[in-house]
Amino acid sequence: MIARAARQLALVLALALVPAVVSGAWQLAWKKAEPLAAGEVRLATAREWGARVQWVDARSRAKFERTRIPGALLLNEDEWDKLVGPFLDAWDADKTLVVYCDGGSCEASHQVAARLRKDLMIGGVLVLKGGFAEWQGL
Amino acid sequence: MAGLVIAGLRLAVAGVFLYAGTLKIWDFTHLRSATPDFTIAIQNFRLLPSPDLALLLAVYLPWLEVTAASALFIRRLALGAATALLGLSAVFLGAVGSAWWRGLDIACGCFGKENAPADFRFLLLRNTALLAAVTVLFLHEWRRPSPTPPHP
Repeated sequence: MIARAARQLALVLALALVPAVVSGAWQLAWKKAEPLAAGEVRLATAREWGARVQWVDARSRAKFERTRIPGALLLNEDEWDKLVGPFLDAWDADKTLVVYCDGGSCEASHQVAARLRKDLMIGGVLVLKGGFAEWQGL
Repeated sequence: MAGLVIAGLRLAVAGVFLYAGTLKIWDFTHLRSATPDFTIAIQNFRLLPSPDLALLLAVYLPWLEVTAASALFIRRLALGAATALLGLSAVFLGAVGSAWWRGLDIACGCFGKENAPADFRFLLLRNTALLAAVTVLFLHEWRRPSPTPPHP
């Protein structure tokens, strides 16, 4: 009975591997071809800018404290009033702001970028395509 | 009567895993792959040593859910499917319990992207019920005679 269960389990695991591999390959190809939305920048481009970029972390404080892009400043919607002062003090106005959140379909980076443009009248604020997941190479 | 209960359980369990797996594969709200969101959801549990492992799981696990749920209806694969789902249910319950124990304030990601932090007591109850249902199915398949008699 154990042998039968193990044999069937192996078959189910292998069957699941087929669409997973196809799906993974398709997603890799699709990711490369995905167009940028207005106000977004790819990681490769932002990396080329090097020290001229100021990363802005729009995720929660807990996530920021756990891991972040080196040199990033924390600025999120939840703690906006508390964080915006220190953020402006720390930001060198010659640097381009690139905001990121988790990645995937997270909206926080777009919301913070919109607020930076609207409330603080800062032009040229960009959002990192793919967010922090992209930075991690996912 | 017992047969009816098993059939109902089989439908319910398969439905739950098909639904959960599909939502982790495709984001129907944004009409895009749900893998990035599921990768982040896995990472948020802080159980894996590497983000790459989270990505691999995010690609594979949903397909395993869908495949095993479908295979529950195939006589020659039902025991293997029940075994896989039993393992998945136990892992999910363990992950939720561990997150609750460590006081993590995260979304479950059990059914695709969820924005609100999880109510862990509810999740523990739900996952325990799921594990119980899958265990019943597994035991049923375990006791069921093999569809192909052994060769003489």
